[in-house]
Amino acid sequence: MPLLSVKNLRKEYPGFCLDNVSFSLEEGSIMGFIGRNGAGKTTTIKAMLNLIPRNGGEVLLDEVDFFANENRCKQEVGLVMGAFDCYPTRTLGAIAAAARPFYPNWDEAAYRGYLTAFSLEEGKKVKELSAGMQVKFALALALSHGARLLILDEPTSGLDPVSREELLDIFRRLMEEGDKSILFSTHVISDLEKCADAITYIQGGQILASQDLISFREGHLLVAGEAAQLPQKLPYLLGYKQSAFGFTGLIARQEAPRFCDCRLAPADLESIMLYREAKYEAPAI
Amino acid sequence: MKHLLYKDMKLCMVPMVPLFYGFALMLLIPSYPYLVAGFFTCNSIFYLFNQATMNKDLLFCALLPVSKRDMVKSRVWLMVLIEGGMLLLVLGMVFVNHLLHPMGNPAGLDGSLTLLGGMLVLFAVFHLTFLPAYYAAPYRVGRHFFISTVSVFAWIILCEGFCILCAVGQGVPLFDWVEGRLDCFPGTGAALRAQLVCLGISGGIYALCTLWASNRAQKALQKACL
Repeated sequence: MPLLSVKNLRKEYPGFCLDNVSFSLEEGSIMGFIGRNGAGKTTTIKAMLNLIPRNGGEVLLDEVDFFANENRCKQEVGLVMGAFDCYPTRTLGAIAAAARPFYPNWDEAAYRGYLTAFSLEEGKKVKELSAGMQVKFALALALSHGARLLILDEPTSGLDPVSREELLDIFRRLMEEGDKSILFSTHVISDLEKCADAITYIQGGQILASQDLISFREGHLLVAGEAAQLPQKLPYLLGYKQSAFGFTGLIARQEAPRFCDCRLAPADLESIMLYREAKYEAPAI
Repeated sequence: MKHLLYKDMKLCMVPMVPLFYGFALMLLIPSYPYLVAGFFTCNSIFYLFNQATMNKDLLFCALLPVSKRDMVKSRVWLMVLIEGGMLLLVLGMVFVNHLLHPMGNPAGLDGSLTLLGGMLVLFAVFHLTFLPAYYAAPYRVGRHFFISTVSVFAWIILCEGFCILCAVGQGVPLFDWVEGRLDCFPGTGAALRAQLVCLGISGGIYALCTLWASNRAQKALQKACL
């Protein structure tokens, strides 16, 4: 049973439209939410959480309508943004003390445990924390109130490789505990290769694919051929790049028989996104 | 609601709120438009909202398990509490003012219950002009406060100006009645009754305007992008 179901979520802005976004996230899994900057990842997350008014659609959390039962559903959700930059001059202890009364399931022992595990000091002010430590503090808050769904919006974008790896380890450990699900929005694709079970790919406000990571990867192949072959192959390419030596591109696996005269290779997530975006042109505003 | 109030006290309160209560001491000045003291309370509330905006307080609250309506309601209650504190201080200062300046205030309203009523309407004007605008576009807080300030000062000029007019226009029955009943230390008897009625009407205006502004602000926040 999916923990989170997003159905036909729609948000219209002048020059941009989040167009009937639908996907679902299974309990106990990590879903990578990918797309280039401006594709609509953050808008989707904000519309899901009612942080911006939507033009249509529904969000179900454990089969419960999120918008009709907002307070109840928010008990189950923790949002972690790129950095925790609320109340920069307040101490972590003051922020936790203010948040604690809202959550009947607040687990003080778990909170203390996360502070220790993440090397966070309660007496420190938010502005004194590095970006990685701010993400860890937001994560500690979310985990201490027993959130079953963690929504991570670009949590690793501003971090150095060591801090990123550290955070990814934390996410993997959480998954091993089994009762949490993570929607992980990022454009750092390598992070997802390491931890995601499923992928939802958004492009220009529309969902291009939403499926498990392995079948998403295996559904694509990289192809390389000579320049002379390109005109004939072009209709079957999902994206391509031309060079003096020929072309490289991306195809759907079922098109492989048409490319038996070219070199084929398995596609990784980053290549899929690069070639998909190479073909896509944003609508004129 | 009480959790949100606690959160506001813990995370959003600014030193200007208690410090600006000191402007109640303006009633010690022998000749001054005392309603201005109420403006400084609005000013301290502006600092509170400004600080909250800079601290991304709305986003933090919107992620807590509370409705957007409750977010507005709790903030309105906080404003009412801050303004209530100022009114209590001013009430105390009315007696001190009468002891120090028994001849009244030539620059406008005397220390009286009418002054408290005027201050209640001043706060009502502030709520009307500031609250819905703030929740519709929180990041333009300075612009909203400027418009509120102009509105509040229009009320101050109207009130204090009318009192000066009453003081200089002796012989006109309406002016004499205002001077003898409303713009004086209440004491006992007819003046006290008239001023209590005035305070009651002002309280009603304050309550109605605050409710209306709060409802408008709640609707505005539903449409705002956080």
